[in-house]
Amino acid sequence: MKARVELWVRLKVVDLVSQTAWMTLVEKLELGDDLRGLVHYSYWGMDAEGSDGMTILSEIDRVVRMDSAFTNQNKHLYRLIVEGGGSTGDLVLEKDFPMNVAAKHQSERGGIFSFDCLVRELHSNREEGFKKRLNARLKAVSVSDLKAGEVWRVIIRGRNEDEAAKRIKEIIITRSRREGLLLNPHYQGFEIISSTRLEKERNDPKGRVGTAGINPARKRV
Amino acid sequence: MADTFKDTVAIIQFPGVNCEYETAAAVRSVGLDADLFRWNENPELLEECMAVILPGGFSYQDRIRAGVVAAKDRIMDKVSELARKGRPVLGICNGAQVLVESGLIPGIHWERVDLALAPNVMMDREGYYCNWVFLRNEDSRCIWTTAFGTGEIIPIPVAHAEGRFVTEDMDILEEMKQNGQIALRYCSSRGEVDDLFPLNPNGSLENMAGVCNPEGNVLAMMPHPERASWLRQVPEDLLGSWGRKRWRAAGDVSKMEMEGPGRRFFAAVLSREGVK
Repeated sequence: MKARVELWVRLKVVDLVSQTAWMTLVEKLELGDDLRGLVHYSYWGMDAEGSDGMTILSEIDRVVRMDSAFTNQNKHLYRLIVEGGGSTGDLVLEKDFPMNVAAKHQSERGGIFSFDCLVRELHSNREEGFKKRLNARLKAVSVSDLKAGEVWRVIIRGRNEDEAAKRIKEIIITRSRREGLLLNPHYQGFEIISSTRLEKERNDPKGRVGTAGINPARKRV
Repeated sequence: MADTFKDTVAIIQFPGVNCEYETAAAVRSVGLDADLFRWNENPELLEECMAVILPGGFSYQDRIRAGVVAAKDRIMDKVSELARKGRPVLGICNGAQVLVESGLIPGIHWERVDLALAPNVMMDREGYYCNWVFLRNEDSRCIWTTAFGTGEIIPIPVAHAEGRFVTEDMDILEEMKQNGQIALRYCSSRGEVDDLFPLNPNGSLENMAGVCNPEGNVLAMMPHPERASWLRQVPEDLLGSWGRKRWRAAGDVSKMEMEGPGRRFFAAVLSREGVK
């Protein structure tokens, strides 16, 4: 069988890259009115072929757990997802939102949207290198069509999803010294791989976020 | 910081730079004063300086992308303003990355980001690359290279992981060429420009090693002239006349203290009259 596989990795400790990006966006580019949160992941997406979903999951998990090119158990949390074959790892993506979102969300007009934006290098041979590395170590499973990069989960206020998605482009693409931050369009590109409207769960009176307070209906784009 | 520093070159110290002291020493070696200027000092103090240098190393640990966070700093408002008035500005390595991410280079559309310094592309390896390379001084408008003859070959060290000048906008590249903005190209020890590694150590488009703005007062260069400012810094086995000169000087302390091939980048500032 063939299945789409995703590997998401983030630091267990405070991520200074996302902290610096947050500070730069809010303090230097003055985007604090709209931004509500920022999380930073390393990401690999690929097609995998194996006898069944469980085999694909366990085999890829065996390799990425042991290979520091993908994860380091001392400092990373990860989630490996096989479409139709379950998932493994200690990272819970569906609840991985900054803790201050809910309180602010209570008083927002419009809505709060979370976009997972994959930033990749254009014309790079890094992805080919990762694919070779995986295929050399996997037994009875092979991978193809691998995409590697970093995902920025940008949480943003907007009147509707379209407006918020438009704003995301302005935040991500560095057009000038005063516009955009997260990629340089002359060697990087990006795509929104999923979007979520964050909604307070009805049966949670405290409206907590990052634990049980948000019901993020994740929509693949 | 001195109260007034009309003969002073300001060397900007972003968090994480590590070449500021060598750069200051190289500036002083041509008879100028050099002051280290912290990124969070009052930027208006830069007004009196005769030139600004953004040295190499790292800025903000190169988080997100090399040079991009520093490019958004308040001090870069002032550097941009001075550059626009014609003040000489030199970015070396990480400083070059800051200038590119600021849109001061190529500067055809002021502060618009039209270039990138992308990760190196090299044969059979990736990441950081550190070695001596050769540059060919091109016929350009750059004031920082006026002490070199057109076509002169300059041996110099590079040390970077993201030094590949690229653009997705081929019209910009064409305009840069027409404007004479490609100041320095990677070449062989005999001056032949070849795109192959290691002559082109990072896969830069057009073998670009240094790019200036259309007016010529701002230069972003990936190699380190401050690491080639004394003869003692030149390797004995380097191909070409500088290597031979260094070999002959071995054991003679006074000769070893003579100028190296990179010092004239700094001397160029001294020879410029009428700094605005």
